Amino acid sequence: MPSVIRGVRARLTVTIVALVVLTAAVLGIGSYLFVDTSLHQQARDEAAAQARFDLSVIAPSRLVSTPPTAAEIQGLQDAFHFRNLDTIVDDGSGPVITSLSGTPLPGEMVRLVDQGQIAYAWMSVNGQPSLVVGGRSGGTGPAVYFIRDEAALEATLDQLRLALGVGALVLAILAIVAARFLARGVLAPVEAAGRAAERIERGDLSARVPVTSDDEFGTWADRFNRMAAALDDTIGRLESAQDQNRRFVADVSHELRTPVSALVAEASILRDHLGDLPQASRRAGELIVDDIARLRTLVEELMELSRFDAETEEVELRPVDVSRLIRDVVAARHPDAVLELPDDRVVIESDPRRLERILTNLLGNARDHAPGALVVVRLRAAAGQVSITVADRGPGVPADRLARIFDRFFMADPSRRGGSGLGLAIAREHAELLGGHLHGRNRDGGGLAIELVLPVTGSLRHGDPAETGEDEPEGR
Amino acid sequence: MDARILLVEDDPSIREVTVIGLSAAGFAVTAAPDGVEGLERFRSDPFDLVLLDVMLPRLDGYEVCRQIRRTSTVPVVMLTARADTMDVVVGLEAGADDYVRKPFEVPELIARVRAALRRAGRLPDETDNLQLGPLGIDVAGRAVSRDGVDIPLTRTEFDLLLELVRHHGQVLTRDVLLDRVWGYDYLGDSRLVDVAIQRLRAKIETDPAAPELVLTVRGAGYKAAR
Repeated sequence: MPSVIRGVRARLTVTIVALVVLTAAVLGIGSYLFVDTSLHQQARDEAAAQARFDLSVIAPSRLVSTPPTAAEIQGLQDAFHFRNLDTIVDDGSGPVITSLSGTPLPGEMVRLVDQGQIAYAWMSVNGQPSLVVGGRSGGTGPAVYFIRDEAALEATLDQLRLALGVGALVLAILAIVAARFLARGVLAPVEAAGRAAERIERGDLSARVPVTSDDEFGTWADRFNRMAAALDDTIGRLESAQDQNRRFVADVSHELRTPVSALVAEASILRDHLGDLPQASRRAGELIVDDIARLRTLVEELMELSRFDAETEEVELRPVDVSRLIRDVVAARHPDAVLELPDDRVVIESDPRRLERILTNLLGNARDHAPGALVVVRLRAAAGQVSITVADRGPGVPADRLARIFDRFFMADPSRRGGSGLGLAIAREHAELLGGHLHGRNRDGGGLAIELVLPVTGSLRHGDPAETGEDEPEGR
Repeated sequence: MDARILLVEDDPSIREVTVIGLSAAGFAVTAAPDGVEGLERFRSDPFDLVLLDVMLPRLDGYEVCRQIRRTSTVPVVMLTARADTMDVVVGLEAGADDYVRKPFEVPELIARVRAALRRAGRLPDETDNLQLGPLGIDVAGRAVSRDGVDIPLTRTEFDLLLELVRHHGQVLTRDVLLDRVWGYDYLGDSRLVDVAIQRLRAKIETDPAAPELVLTVRGAGYKAAR
C-alpha cells in the first residue's frame, strides 16, 4: 500500500466530518421538530379558543333557523370574512365540502363535529396551508367550520428549514477544512519522518526529524533521530576507514612507481644482455626480468583501481566500430582466438580506450586461466544493446565462486601463477563507467565465458561508412 | 649516430640506466638532476633533443619546456608518470612534441627518440606554397599566415596541418596521423592527435568550436576542408 499516510489522512478527515455532520443533523432536525410542533400546537390552541368563543357567542346569534337559511349563512360568512376567516356552514344538504376548493373535509373531523366536539385538521385549501376548526353552533346547532390561513406559519417553518440547511452545509464545509487541517497536524510528524527517511535513503545521513512536541510523536522522533545519528556515525567511520585504506593503496602504488620505473628500464637492458651472464646468474636474471614485469603490471593496475576509487575517471565518448576494435585487439593480444563477428559493422557510442582495456583484460584472463585452450570472441548486436563474449575451454570456476571472479585479488585457483588478480576487477570498473556490466558463466562442455553487455544509446548500429569511416583511406 | 641528447630526470636510478641505454644506442647524453640545472645545461651546450621528466625539483618539466621554447625549436619529449589527457594537454601547450609514459623500457624510449629526431631532421620535400581557405602555408619556411598575419605554430602543429592539407578532402584516421606526424605506430593513445588538433584549431580557426578548416569525421578521423 503505497499511500498509507494519505489513507490515514482521508480516514481521519472522513471520520471527523461524519461526526460533525451527524451531530449537526441530529441537533438541527431535533430543534426543527420541536419548533414545528410547538408552533402548530400554539396555532391550534389559539384557533380552538377562538372557535369556542365564536361558536358559543357569534354563531348562535346569526344562525337562528333550523336548518339555517341561506341568508343567515351568508350573513355569518360576511361577518367572519371581516376577520379574514372563511366559514363553511353545514346546511344539512349533504357532505360538507369546502366552498372554495372542493376538497372534502376529513370524515373523522366531520364525525367528531357531529358528535358536538370541537375538531380541527391541517389541510391545504386553494393551495394555501390552512387550519380548519369546526364545531356546532351553540353546541347543538348546525356545524360551522372556520378556515384559518396559516401560510405565515408555514413560511416561518420554511425559513427555519432553509436556515438549518444552510447552517448544516456551512458546518460541513468548516468541518472538512478543520478536519484536513487537524489531520495534517496530526500526521505532520509522520510526513516529516518520511521525508527524513527518504533523504537518508538517498545518502544524506544528516537528515533529522524535528522534535516539536512532548507526546508519543516527540518521543518517537527523538528515537528516530538517535538511530539516524548512530547510522551516520557508523557509516562515517566506515567511510573514513575505507578512504584511509584507499589513500594508503594509492600512496603505496604511487611511491612504488618511481622505483618500478627504474626497475623496468633496468630490466629492459638486462634482458638484452642475459646471454652474456654465466649460467648460474642467467636464470636469476631471467626471473628478475619476468618478476619486474609482473611487479609493473601489479603497480599499474593498483594505480588504475585507485583512480576509479578516487572517482576522477572521465569517459570520452565517440562512435566506435566495435567489430574493428575487436579484430585489432585480438590480433595484438591473442591472435589464436577465434572471432565470431556479425556480417554488419557494429558501431556504438562509447570510449574506445576503455573498451580496448576491458577486452585486453578478458583475453588476458582467458590466457592465464586456460593456457593453450581454445578462446572464442563473439560479438552480438541486439536492439538496445551490444554484447561481447570471451569464452575459453579452461577449467571454469566452481559455481559458488562464480560471482566473486570480479572481486579484487580473487583467484579461482590460487596455486596458479599468472595475472595479478586485478584484471577482471579493472574490467568491471571500466564496464560500469561505460554504463554496461560484466558477468561470467560456466560453459556447457567446460570452460568459462565472460560477457560484456553494453547499452546502445544512439542509433549508430548501422551507421553508414561515410559517417563511421571505412577502412583507412590509403595504406599505412 | 652522434645526436646530442639532454636528459633531465631527478631519480638517480632512472637517470643512470637511461644514460646507459641511450649511450649504448649511440647517443651523446648529458644528464641533469633538476629543472634549473637542466636549463643551464641547455643554454650552455647545443642539443638535438631534450628528454624532460615532468615532476622535477626546483623547476618542473613544463616550465623548463616553456623556457626552452622561447629560444629554440629543438624536439622536446616529456617523460610523464601519468598519461592523462590533462598531462598531455599541458605538455603540448608548453610546447612539447611528444611524451613517453613511465615506466618505459629503454628500447621503446630509443625508438621514440629516433622518431622525434627523424621528424626534426626531415627536409621539406616541397618548396611551393599551399593554401587552405584563408590560410597561406609556406612549406619551405615552415610558416603559416592568415590574411597576411603570421600564426606561430609548433613543429608538431605545423606537421599536422601540412599532412592534412596535403590530403585535403580525404579522411585521415588518428592512427595514420600518429604514424605520419609523430612517426611511430599506433600505441593505443590517439588522444595525442585529438589534443594536437584542438590546439591547432585554436590557432587557425575563427571559431574553434565550429571548425571550418580542419574537420572532424565522426568515428573516423580528421580531414582538411577542400
